[in-house]
Amino acid sequence: MSNTEKQKDPLFGPRDMKLLKTPFSKENPIIVQVLGICSALAVTVKLQPAVVMAISVTVVVMMSNLIISLMRNTIPPRIRIIVQLVVVSFLVIIVDQVLKAFAYDVSKQLSVYVGLIITNCIVMGRLEAFAMSNKPWPSVLDGLGNGLGYGIILIIVGFVRELFGSGTLWDERIMPEGYIPNGLMVMPAMALILLGIIIWIHRGRNKELQENE
Amino acid sequence: MEALNIFIKSIFIDNMIFAFFLGMCSYLAISKTVKTSMGLGLAVTFVLVITVPVNYLIDKYLLQAGALSWISESFANVDLSFLSFIIFIAVVAGIVQLVEMFVERYSPSLYAQLGIFLPLIAVNCAILGCSLFMQKRDYSNVGEVFSFALGSGIGWLLAIIGIAAIRERLKYSNIPPALKGLGIAFIITGLMAMAFQAFSGIKL
Amino acid sequence: MKNFSNRYIYIYSTVLVLVVATVLALVAVGLKPFQQKNIKAEQMQQLLSSAGIKVERNVAEENYNKYIVAEYTVNSNGEVIDEYSDGKQVKGSDRPFEINVKAQYKDFKAGKANEVKLPVYVCKKDNGEITYIVPVRGAGLWGDVWGNVALKSDLNTVEGVVFDHESETPGLGSKITDDPSFAQSFVNKTIFDGEKFTSVKVIKRVGTDNPHAVDALSGATLTSNGVSAMIEDCLKFYLPYFKTLKK
Repeated sequence: MSNTEKQKDPLFGPRDMKLLKTPFSKENPIIVQVLGICSALAVTVKLQPAVVMAISVTVVVMMSNLIISLMRNTIPPRIRIIVQLVVVSFLVIIVDQVLKAFAYDVSKQLSVYVGLIITNCIVMGRLEAFAMSNKPWPSVLDGLGNGLGYGIILIIVGFVRELFGSGTLWDERIMPEGYIPNGLMVMPAMALILLGIIIWIHRGRNKELQENE
Repeated sequence: MEALNIFIKSIFIDNMIFAFFLGMCSYLAISKTVKTSMGLGLAVTFVLVITVPVNYLIDKYLLQAGALSWISESFANVDLSFLSFIIFIAVVAGIVQLVEMFVERYSPSLYAQLGIFLPLIAVNCAILGCSLFMQKRDYSNVGEVFSFALGSGIGWLLAIIGIAAIRERLKYSNIPPALKGLGIAFIITGLMAMAFQAFSGIKL
Repeated sequence: MKNFSNRYIYIYSTVLVLVVATVLALVAVGLKPFQQKNIKAEQMQQLLSSAGIKVERNVAEENYNKYIVAEYTVNSNGEVIDEYSDGKQVKGSDRPFEINVKAQYKDFKAGKANEVKLPVYVCKKDNGEITYIVPVRGAGLWGDVWGNVALKSDLNTVEGVVFDHESETPGLGSKITDDPSFAQSFVNKTIFDGEKFTSVKVIKRVGTDNPHAVDALSGATLTSNGVSAMIEDCLKFYLPYFKTLKK
């Protein structure tokens, strides 16, 4: 079966595109599936750590999806969660060490939140839901899509909070001289409220996602 | 005294949810009724007070730079701290499993209450986050670490019960359809976080 | 799903752990020099910056070797314990730059002032002026705050300061690091009023005229208080040493 399917799917088939695209909106890991919020909000005070965090998570999701997908037929089901945890923390330690060596300032800003990628539900969620039962290439794409879908929300929140909270973007001054930074924006509370507003707008446009509580 | 200070601080000021967003996933998913959120909150507190002190001891006597010098002077230069993520998560997962077995065996009534939540907790960021904060803030003894863990757990419990109580009431209010459920939960958490901001700076 | 025997599971997990541990150890050992270089360079950069010498991090080390002419550690009685200058250890056994200031301050706060030794750096600027730099450390609102205070050769006038922090509120307390005008306001303040030690306090709306105080950051009262207490407590430790220097 694996052979025939391989021939049917070109490198970027329509199915692959779908894997990449749905996490951006309809199945966005943060605002629809409510996964990985823990680390999402704390690093969004400024744009730069938000971008680095987005990249780190994307790399970890992609790589762990790939590794688990390659190993999927050898993993005994009884210890699969612990195997997944080991693979994820292995990758996160590497990311952490690399950041400390080559992006020292950012790694200082991210502090414990790099380590918390391990318990980021997106990573474990994608491993369980996708990589355990799919071939490596689609798994990588799925990881990439979800990582980017997560990243886009982080970047939006980081953009708004840095622009209004510090009057800068990527540490460059944007707002005119007289602008007094809005202190509320840099507080944790505002990240939550901004996310609530993003969800509001998103669900206003996608009626099928609305909840009837 | 210091321990009491840390305890108060970790409940109100350094609240896991409102200041650090840790454990948000389960906080939002399980906060629909007060009863279940009470169960989850208790389970989180329970696991925290066990895992964080254990991780503290492991960090102090195995992982930190020079931590192995109690075995022999020749290990004084060994620094295993790069392994801390993987060890901490393994300890958390292992202890959650152990606790689950113990509780099931010796206290079926508690198991009935906490049981379904325990497996969820292994990947709750609040637990790992607490261990990582413990490592970063380097507390001076087990007593302080214990009060930090207990305080963080109670802070988390308070937060989830608070939001669950509000969400139970929200069922009867008229919310724009697109904001129902998740959206309004975020905004309310934000408002609660602002209220908790008022505690910042209190010191005993 | 296939069925796996217990033996398979044991072997599988052992192999997995071994592979992971080996690779991680290699990565950690391989990257360690880079990480330590970063930490060292940042520390050197901050020391120079407090004395008014602003350099990029990648050239921090060569500039440090050029400008910092001596490193000492002193105890609370003002006695010199270690000395390191011209690239070699002159006295004592520890290089002052490598002293764990954090651990020393912890002992200092815990009342073990007699066992503590802390570093002093002597910087000779291009114009021949001598500057003494001492590290300071304390608690802000959320976590630790630390930095360096540079004093002119009269051991009274502040040449410059630099602060860093672990987790102060971004945009409010974090201004002690991010806002250059805060550090700038310390320049030319004096820490003595005649013979009396006054330190440089951080007080709300104090204006620019007071020689022993600077304006607190608005919206960050507790961080400001922390910085104020940090400077006072830590400079106190060095007072006996300054006294011997002045003689």
